[in-house]
Amino acid sequence: MATRDLSTNDPMLDPITGEVVVIAPGHSFKSVTEKISRIVLTAHTPVGWFFGLLVAGGVVMLLLTCLTWLFLKGVGIWGLDIPVGWGFAIVNFVWWIGIGHAGTLISAILLLFKQTWRNSINRFAEAMTIFAVVCAGMFPLIHVGRPWLGYWLFPYPNSMSVWPQFRSPLLWDVFAVSTYATISVVFWYIGMIPDLGTLRDRAKTPVGQYFFGLLALGWRGSVRHWMRYETASLLLAGLATPLVLSVHTVISFDFAVAIIPGWHTTIFPPYFVAGAVYSGFAMVITLAIPIRKFYHLEDLITIRHLDNMGKVMLTTGLIVAYGYGMELFMSWYSASHWEYFAFWNRLFGPMGWSYWVLITCNIALPQFLWSRYVRTHVGLMFIMSIIVNTGMWFERFVIVVTSLYRDYLPSSWGTYRATRWDYGTFIGTLGLFTFLFFLFIRFLPMIPMSELRVLLPQSKVKHLPEAAHEAGD
Amino acid sequence: MTNAHGHATRALTGDPAASLGLMAGWRRRALTFGAVFTILAIVLVVLAEVMEHDKFLHLLTSWLMGAMLCWGFSLGGLALLMVQYCSGGKWGLLIRRPLEAMSRTLWVSALMFLPILIFMKKIYLWARYSNPTDVAQALERGLIDKAQAHALNWKHPMLSPASVWVQIVICFVIWFGYMFLMNRWSLQRDADPQPNVPFWQKRFENISGFGIVVYSLTLTALVIDLVMSTNITWFSTMYGLAYLVAQGYAVLALSVITVVSLSKAEPMKTILRTTEQHDLGKLMFAFVMLNIYLNFSQFLIIWSGNSPEEISWYLDRIRGHWGVIFTFDFIFHWLIPFSLLLSRDIKRNKRRIVMVGMWMVFARCWDMFLLIEPNFSPRNLHFSIGILEYIAVPGAMISFWVVAYIGQLGKRPLVQTNDPHLAEILEAEHAHA
Repeated sequence: MATRDLSTNDPMLDPITGEVVVIAPGHSFKSVTEKISRIVLTAHTPVGWFFGLLVAGGVVMLLLTCLTWLFLKGVGIWGLDIPVGWGFAIVNFVWWIGIGHAGTLISAILLLFKQTWRNSINRFAEAMTIFAVVCAGMFPLIHVGRPWLGYWLFPYPNSMSVWPQFRSPLLWDVFAVSTYATISVVFWYIGMIPDLGTLRDRAKTPVGQYFFGLLALGWRGSVRHWMRYETASLLLAGLATPLVLSVHTVISFDFAVAIIPGWHTTIFPPYFVAGAVYSGFAMVITLAIPIRKFYHLEDLITIRHLDNMGKVMLTTGLIVAYGYGMELFMSWYSASHWEYFAFWNRLFGPMGWSYWVLITCNIALPQFLWSRYVRTHVGLMFIMSIIVNTGMWFERFVIVVTSLYRDYLPSSWGTYRATRWDYGTFIGTLGLFTFLFFLFIRFLPMIPMSELRVLLPQSKVKHLPEAAHEAGD
Repeated sequence: MTNAHGHATRALTGDPAASLGLMAGWRRRALTFGAVFTILAIVLVVLAEVMEHDKFLHLLTSWLMGAMLCWGFSLGGLALLMVQYCSGGKWGLLIRRPLEAMSRTLWVSALMFLPILIFMKKIYLWARYSNPTDVAQALERGLIDKAQAHALNWKHPMLSPASVWVQIVICFVIWFGYMFLMNRWSLQRDADPQPNVPFWQKRFENISGFGIVVYSLTLTALVIDLVMSTNITWFSTMYGLAYLVAQGYAVLALSVITVVSLSKAEPMKTILRTTEQHDLGKLMFAFVMLNIYLNFSQFLIIWSGNSPEEISWYLDRIRGHWGVIFTFDFIFHWLIPFSLLLSRDIKRNKRRIVMVGMWMVFARCWDMFLLIEPNFSPRNLHFSIGILEYIAVPGAMISFWVVAYIGQLGKRPLVQTNDPHLAEILEAEHAHA
């Protein structure tokens, strides 16, 4: 929208960038603190919150039912069969891990890039990361068949001489995901300490004062505390940044180091990472839009956030599109019959429909994000986020299933059909994720108050005479 | 002095013409280097013909290397220019004019591609055997193997002289269009008496956003045509992306060298603060990491797959003396810049960051040698006079390209005065920055 009608005097526009401002004007340190802390400290929990928790809890029951039946009967209740030995469990694992990437990207990479607009959304994006990793981590555990022996995945000295295969990317996954989960939790918690101190000071009930006091680790907000806090944040951001790349890269190796056409392709690492960020941002939008509406946070999570997240989605979506394009092109350029067939089958085989769903959701429809109107339209962005999340799930389905069900030998071809337990488990994890998220927004500050205050004009460092004048000297 | 936000500011004082004096000196030096390398190249070519009967093969392949490097700076400059318009940030203002100058040398790169296209039969199998009959005869005579014959016939729609000519012409027309618009609008923005910040911001964002997509696709097409296809059977889906990042690696290094070296005189002396120099250093570090990430991922996947169609590319670069070049590529391209750029002091020291930048440009040249030459002398690297042409020919080409680049750089003011980030950059540096 390059038009001359964009006004330079609009208070909602940043005079430097021409973008919509990060926080709506009119806020003070006090108003920001009150608005966010009230959600946690209020004695009057909204009825809608109870309703949401109840529904999510009901879906968690479905998950527990599916898991119980799984433990009783084994993985045979799923749709796995020769030749598709990896099905929904791996699809869901990769999808959930991908969802988590946006949190780390927002909290770590955008921090290093000094992107202050992240301040409004980083806390719940980080929470989302942790809950997504919880859901993701469950799938490999239940997929091993005997989850009570899951600790065998870790290399530890034992009398059975059982030692994991270090050359297998599945073992690398164990390290990558557990490191990722650890850093994400530490980053999330340390980032929350100043806010926990604020909640401790503002809590009216002894229980609140005790628990927030315990969690605040003696935070006093002194200069030394702030200095250490900033240093810790930067160090953790530095540590977490390679993790954004490494986790999904390692997951892409699960497929790419094999020699199955459709899996063995060198573009997988960057394209998996981009896809993860793509779906992660889509999930942030899916969560942010109802939250800002329900808690009246439109002035803190503004159109600018939607616009920027839309741009990130567009960028990562185009990288993903480049990946699809290169895969398709190289299946021809390779002059390899197997590669060529794998992609022909992916496009036009019995499960070709899944590929076209993926292309529609991940490539075709998101092109509307080029439009500033779409990026700044709340309803359309919500729809777009759901579309992308659907598309990214199908991407993993296409990679896993359509590459396996027709391999080199036609005599070993088969098909794949998910069972009700597959669907139930997946839907159940959606419930678990939502359930945890409901608890989080009620009991912890979902928007970082301390970081939001930095965005206010009052926090800018002023030239000394100017500041003295404002102070009334 | 304070600005509208109440922050202390500095002013652009001093004589901007001092920068022109600096540039004139660099230009003279580049011309001298160009002349010396040209004489050296002529001597080496003659010697290679007389003593090794090279049939100009090394001249053409080393020319390809030089052309790809110079084109990398021109097109990569245009791409990074578009990236900084989309990403925003103060660093963009600092390197914008050097990037614009790089992009305006696109015509030099276009000229450099002409000998490659004219003598393509000497370099590329697909040009030498451009129809099924030729392929069959070459196979019969044992000049190519079955896999190559199959690949040549299969890839004919894309890799034939006519098709490659058309692709390259289309790519250059597109790039010239973008280069023209980006540079023209930049001047118009400077001349705007009452600049409307949001308008210009959106205008550049809109052209750049789509431009980056077009750049990625056209770059991929060109590097497949001209570099990857020097090994007709090999393929890698990562190749275009890895090449793109490597191009950014070198362009950023050259931009930093230019900006920091220009800060000996006004106006860069005033506007290059240590904070922004540090930021540019961090961006260089990010490119170093991204570059090794992509290359290592490609290596790991191909090595693990160990399939004959793919692994040969790496075996050709690891076996024999190529292993030394390959190891040094890893050290030069990643280990050294990684180790150096970890240091905050180096990133904030003008002399040292220029040295790192120069090292990165050198590492890119080394990498380009490894991308091209093993396809023509696989299995082992033998020392020959022809191999030395890889120093002299690209050396001469890059020197003359630098002359053109400096010439373009001197044509415009080094700072875009209508950019609102200028006010921020002119603020005094804070202790915590």
